[in-house]
Amino acid sequence: MRAGGARMRLYEYEAKAILKKFGIAVPQGRLAHNTREVREAFVEINRPVALKAQILAGGRGKAGGIRFARDVDEAEKEATQLFGTPIRGFKVDKILVEERLNIARELYLGVTIDREKGSPIMIASSEGGIEIEEVAAKSPEKIATLHPNILRGVREYEVRKLIKRIGLGGDALSEATRIAWRLYQIFRAYDAELVEINPLVVTAEGKIVAADARMSVDDHALFRHPELEALRLERFEDPLEREGQVRGVNFVNLKGNIAIMGNGAGLVMALLDAVKIAGGQPACFLDTGGGLSVDRVERSLDLLLMKADSDPDVKAIFFAFWFMISPAEEVTKGFLNVLAKRKPKIPMVGVIQGVGAERAVEILNNAGIKCYPTIREGINAVLELIR
Amino acid sequence: MGILVSKDTRVIVQGITGRLGALQTKMMLEYGTKIVAGVTPGKGGGTIFGIPIYDSVEEALSEHEAEASILYVPAPFVKEAAFEAIEAGIKFMVIITDWVPVHDALEIKALANEKGTLYIGPNTPGITIPGEIKLGMIHTVTPGNIGVVSRSGTLTAEVTNLLTSAGLGQSAVLGLGGDPVVGLRLKDVLKLFEEDEHTKAIVIIGEIGGTMEEEAAEYIEKYVSKPVVAFIAGKSAPPEKKMGHAGAIITGGRGTAESKINALKEAGVKVAETPWEVPTLVKECLK
Repeated sequence: MRAGGARMRLYEYEAKAILKKFGIAVPQGRLAHNTREVREAFVEINRPVALKAQILAGGRGKAGGIRFARDVDEAEKEATQLFGTPIRGFKVDKILVEERLNIARELYLGVTIDREKGSPIMIASSEGGIEIEEVAAKSPEKIATLHPNILRGVREYEVRKLIKRIGLGGDALSEATRIAWRLYQIFRAYDAELVEINPLVVTAEGKIVAADARMSVDDHALFRHPELEALRLERFEDPLEREGQVRGVNFVNLKGNIAIMGNGAGLVMALLDAVKIAGGQPACFLDTGGGLSVDRVERSLDLLLMKADSDPDVKAIFFAFWFMISPAEEVTKGFLNVLAKRKPKIPMVGVIQGVGAERAVEILNNAGIKCYPTIREGINAVLELIR
Repeated sequence: MGILVSKDTRVIVQGITGRLGALQTKMMLEYGTKIVAGVTPGKGGGTIFGIPIYDSVEEALSEHEAEASILYVPAPFVKEAAFEAIEAGIKFMVIITDWVPVHDALEIKALANEKGTLYIGPNTPGITIPGEIKLGMIHTVTPGNIGVVSRSGTLTAEVTNLLTSAGLGQSAVLGLGGDPVVGLRLKDVLKLFEEDEHTKAIVIIGEIGGTMEEEAAEYIEKYVSKPVVAFIAGKSAPPEKKMGHAGAIITGGRGTAESKINALKEAGVKVAETPWEVPTLVKECLK
């Protein structure tokens, strides 16, 4: 499991700013944070507009997140409603006000990672504006793909062949080729996991414009993109998940009665599954990450106790650690340091295995944390507690 | 016995002077791994635990013969270090480092494919052939005939330890790496275990995301005659916050725990509900 932060998603307006920078046409538009700014945006654009809620979730159109307005009062009325209604569970605090396009045709362009082939993949479709997986399921013949060689980059002629396969010719073929080639450059320049234009609109006037854009960036590469790194934390709506990011800990908030922590995503997922099978409900997923140190244990345990303290549904805490490198006893100090400052109000049960486990179990038992030598015993014990 | 490496494999350690690299080198040497040289740019000419250090892989290989390299290099430098190893002619790499950018992983994959270099990782606990060689940190092992292949780190330790405790030794234990783009895939390792005469049964430790398990199920159906037991982590995980549509098109709705478990069961694999069911199922298979 990866927390939301493993891929940093960009808002539509941010993605479009990047497209624009790379010479891809986007609709004339302006970002508004309140109705006054919506009015100003309308006056500036001065023709029928679309009002688009800026949220980090798909299916926005169907959920009522896109409105249209022909005059400034209508724009204000629609904006007032948008600002006041959560869309797909997201509070709307930004609206992109954009000129309405005269749509002749809608296409799809995307670049992402094909995990199976271990290669970038460019995807084009003659049918845009709807979810691309629907197109893939219903009419796969409308989709064309290309796997560029990442070491030498994509050639323009390869892209042209791709675009031709979705039925474009003449000026449209050249223009769409240019856009798709640039989209691949954006994918590479930003360490993107996904960059897509859906729909790519051919207007009645014959122009090709990116009407909507979506983009996410690999957060393991943010050290190469400090301007994005600075925006990362505000992407986390949940305060505890945001705190996890600040602490460099993988935390996913859930609803349940047992707060769960471990080292390694696979192990923690297995703990969640086992707790659920045994009749408990996981209240969170906390993966401390690798290279367990005293400091890391402190940051993680403290966050786990924050969760336990702030959620009355949580009745017990369960953790399991496997020490594959550093001896377990070295990091028990991390536990003791946290417990000296913050006493858990609910029972805590743990499992410690691996290098130096016996000594660590002894130390923690003496400190009042009941520790078991196997996960199975630990889970049985924690479920006894909540029964 | 074993796959990919053996007691005769000669190894260089890239990033040998870092905290983790040094600590692990010591433990690997104690296990009997034949480490012939270390590489840390700028530290050439020194030694650590009696192992000579070089500034580059090329220099190390001009003085020593080695087939394999293990990388403890910090994430931002992994791509260059892997390129260096591949281009110097290393045949097998273990990339331990986590947090490697996925675009770097794509480039490593492309170059390794071009040059015919095999590797596991990034973000792998390594590979251990019990009693012969340890490359990385998998230590809860004992010699035997179960082949264990995993996408996880500590969960590999857990399951291997359960096997060991139940008297089921291993022919080889390896992690493929927890990242989206890795070197060897499940089906590649299944092929090696199928061909390895010492391996009598195979254990797969999978998890949600990607389609390696589904791909493996297809492979097992066609080519694997040995019994296979699997455990898939992530059955209770909430659906991952959706990344976007272009990603979903490749997997075509695959990648959930349910889809993996169903695919494996259809291929005749015994799927354990919990890690501690794995040894029981393995014993049933071997009856």
